[in-house]
Amino acid sequence: MKIDIDHLCKLSRLSIAEEKRELFAKQMSDIVEMASKLPPMKDDISFLDENNPMELREDVIMPSLQRDVLLSVAPDTQAGCVVVPKIIEREE
Amino acid sequence: MELFEKTAQELSLLMEKKEIKAEELALSVSKRMEQTKDIINDYITANSEEELLLQARLVDEKRERGEKLSPLSGIPVGIKDNICQKGTVTSCASKMLENFVSPYDATVISKLRENDVIFTGKLNMDEFAMGSTCETSYFKKTKNPRNLEYCPGGSSGGSAASVAAGSSVVALGSDTGGSIRCPAAWTGIVGLKPTYGAVSRYGVVAFASSLDQIGPFGRCVDDVALLYNAIAGKDKMDATSINFNHPDYRSFKGQSIKGMKIGVPYEFFGEGLDEGVRSRIEDAKKLLTSLGACPVPISLPSCSYALSAYYIISSAEASSNLSRFDGIRYGHRAENTKDLTDLYVKSRSEGFGDEVKRRIMLGTFVLSAGFSDEYYSSAKKLQAVIKNEFKEVFNSCDLILTPTSPFTAFKLGQNSKDPVANYLADVCTVPVNIAGLPAISIPCGTVENNLPVGFQLIAPSFGEDRLFKSAYAYENAFGGFLGTAKL
Amino acid sequence: MEYTATIGLEVHAELNTKTKIYCGCRNVFGGEVNSHCCPICMGLPGSLPTLNEKVVEYCIRMGHALNCKINRITKQDRKHYFYPDLPKAYQISQFDIPLCENGYIDAIIDDKGSTKRIGVTRIHIEEDAGKLIHDDAFRGSLIDFNRCGVPLIEIVSEPDMHSSDEAKAYLETLKQILLYLGISDCKMQEGSLRCDVNVSISPKGSDKLGTRVEMKNVNSFSAAVRAIDYEIARQKKVLEEGKQLHQETRKWDDANGCNILLRSKEDADDYRFFPEPDLITIVVPEEKVKAIKDSLPELPQKRTLRFMQDFSLPMFDANLLTENRDRGDFFEETCKNGANPKSAANWLNGDVARLLGEWNKELSNTSLTPENLAQMVKLIDKKVISNTAGKQVIEETMKTGKAPRQIINEKGLAQLSDESALSDIAEKVLSANPQVIEQYKNGKTNVVGFLVGQCMRESKGKGNPEILKNIILSKLSPLS
Repeated sequence: MKIDIDHLCKLSRLSIAEEKRELFAKQMSDIVEMASKLPPMKDDISFLDENNPMELREDVIMPSLQRDVLLSVAPDTQAGCVVVPKIIEREE
Repeated sequence: MELFEKTAQELSLLMEKKEIKAEELALSVSKRMEQTKDIINDYITANSEEELLLQARLVDEKRERGEKLSPLSGIPVGIKDNICQKGTVTSCASKMLENFVSPYDATVISKLRENDVIFTGKLNMDEFAMGSTCETSYFKKTKNPRNLEYCPGGSSGGSAASVAAGSSVVALGSDTGGSIRCPAAWTGIVGLKPTYGAVSRYGVVAFASSLDQIGPFGRCVDDVALLYNAIAGKDKMDATSINFNHPDYRSFKGQSIKGMKIGVPYEFFGEGLDEGVRSRIEDAKKLLTSLGACPVPISLPSCSYALSAYYIISSAEASSNLSRFDGIRYGHRAENTKDLTDLYVKSRSEGFGDEVKRRIMLGTFVLSAGFSDEYYSSAKKLQAVIKNEFKEVFNSCDLILTPTSPFTAFKLGQNSKDPVANYLADVCTVPVNIAGLPAISIPCGTVENNLPVGFQLIAPSFGEDRLFKSAYAYENAFGGFLGTAKL
Repeated sequence: MEYTATIGLEVHAELNTKTKIYCGCRNVFGGEVNSHCCPICMGLPGSLPTLNEKVVEYCIRMGHALNCKINRITKQDRKHYFYPDLPKAYQISQFDIPLCENGYIDAIIDDKGSTKRIGVTRIHIEEDAGKLIHDDAFRGSLIDFNRCGVPLIEIVSEPDMHSSDEAKAYLETLKQILLYLGISDCKMQEGSLRCDVNVSISPKGSDKLGTRVEMKNVNSFSAAVRAIDYEIARQKKVLEEGKQLHQETRKWDDANGCNILLRSKEDADDYRFFPEPDLITIVVPEEKVKAIKDSLPELPQKRTLRFMQDFSLPMFDANLLTENRDRGDFFEETCKNGANPKSAANWLNGDVARLLGEWNKELSNTSLTPENLAQMVKLIDKKVISNTAGKQVIEETMKTGKAPRQIINEKGLAQLSDESALSDIAEKVLSANPQVIEQYKNGKTNVVGFLVGQCMRESKGKGNPEILKNIILSKLSPLS
């Protein structure tokens, strides 16, 4: 199995150091090989479990967190907001 | 015997009878933490003596006032560093969250606060709980208190090592594929992985949401029951947690296991099982039989694929769960980035270690267009098959017995180049997470180099009562476990 | 060559629940930046979502209104992409099993009330993202997370529309239904209703659809019309130049009336959908699905058509009355009390609506009752009071709830029909306006209206305008 490390890096916003790429690709294909030993499965799977329904939340207001507490963990803030590098165009 | 060496159960009684104060206990544990710090590397954030004493005095005052206190009150509890505790760093042993001071409490932390425990600090682990040796931590490599050349197992290695070494009396860990049971076995203590949905995951930094569960560690069964009593139960904040009637698990102490049918799946005793481990497990089986339990040969054929399914499902969910660590609202942000994409890539690449990156990329791969049917959907189908297989098997037995791990603890650094070899440590524990079942790892002696061995008992969903009943009975017949490690 | 355009719309409507979709934070527009946030909507490590039951209910309500099949057993999925306004770097949405699917709308497409059936592919629930603030005053872009987790329903239409007019009719119908069901405020300027537009063109008569272009950032219905017309023209031009169209996403720039390429198909993201493991199966009991259906009001477009037919109202009036459920109910009740429907409609759509606007109130927050409105309409019809006096009566009864008869008595608003008294008033007005009489003499007969108006004013609105007109005419005619 050939793993397209570049594509995966792009999708996951990661970079892998040049000297580690080969080892990474090898390790990943080992894991993929292990994972691909799954027996063929014909039955269609349902991701739904009607017998275990989710309890929904009542539409009742709960206190929010104070802004300065929330922002206290942020690396860069200004004017009550989190700051990121200037964005020119929304790509999504 | 020093106070830190005693079990929570003993200490609880002593405090209740006012023979000791929580403050004395806190002092004893704090001194022990000072000793283990550089030998075991157990804590990432260790609370100071002052902080421990402050908490303890509050408990003593409450007791003085005659307030009704929980049996856990005043007991020093260690917390795995992937559980959010307000005001303390929750790092997940990652550079990414090195400075992340949680602004909120996990539900289990709130519950422990209500029980007036003494929080000792945050314990080391594999980075984001990914690993079986505790060696992928960004900060330090925890050592096995039973033999310092060996790792304690992972990912909750810090929790297990701390309890075994006495730098906490009991501790919380999390278990996604064996992360409580494996280190419990390798350090010679008791560890419980509860039924999926029995304990709230709210506030536990997610690794694989559909597999993660929080669970307790203790040096004896009673301590594990004591801690489990406090954390079990439905939580409105966690939609996957389940409403169930939970009894006082300590009430199963002293009950007979006569006639209990214990399934022994031959697939777990095949090739690859260390001979020393095999013989200790055989001993355990014999002891249980002598107590009136009946071993029944069973088969769980699909479990041989569980590890594959596990790596697909857990990596897929991890790649998704860890995408929120982008350097924007919290966590590590790279400096001197030229634009948004650069900020993402650099922050994440600097913040995560190799094992985490590998799993994120693997998960991204199995979810990506063109592959998700082949991998993710297949793994989910297999999960359904495994669940069913367990269900069927439990028609003919009450519990299942397996080794917790096919090996004893790895030597530090043993498999650092070969992730797949490390993954095999979890081969016996992973099927349990895949099936969402409860399981307990119980010590059953040591092999050469003083390396402990543990066996695993697996019960049907919400069959924790059976686990405790048999664990108590076994412990009693075995004559108690290893106690606190001498350093 | 002649082309046929094919248009599909994806509409996002913010639901007006009290709290957000996955946490208990307040769901409100505006407010101080980052003041309605918590560990959950900020995506802090360890936080978990819990689904707001009202979101499910509201979506099903919409599903019933759009004649959808309701998938009462369903789930949610994660859709992955990195963007600073999306805290978890995935949006919790629905992928393969939307809560509602396979429905339709009969949109009214002309003022005769003709309808066109437009298919609704699906309606699903999902969370909104935060807002980026771009301002040169700041050193970067700022993020306000207040909108994160605001509940949305996404309504996807079939590509059943062929002109911007049809698209507009569809959008207006949707909006009216959302308002009627009371599940969305539909304030486009606040972004609570947004749409993406898909446009393709193909040679007339061809049964093959052309290459589809998606347009984002269409923020009003009129912008939708402009964006669609622009895109159809652009695509025609490309084809007529002998070039190929590409499947791509473009961004509408309403200020400049054009669109620009955002990304081509090759750059399309791989969203890596998979079932949200933090939320298990949504199971809505059958009885609940039915109860929601039974509680649906008569829908606005149906009601509009009924009002046009039963009350002989023009579509314009009927539409205004049904725009808002309370107003429609009020209107029907007023008619039941014997009011002439056209007059009742005029009052409700005219003075009553104007006063509500001025007072920033809803009909239900005033003291106006259908009985009182009917009584007043009847009094005007019987010429007991003038229309002008009616304006005072309506304001008073809306404020106090007093019966129109009582107000008329208290304020002495009954019309003067006594000829001699009115004649005096006419005399007074005429002598005060010699220059107007001069104009009349020169053939400007329409000044009569002005003079009657002056008389009405002089009589404090109490004069019977018809009698006044006759008096004026009789006094003027000898002069011409």
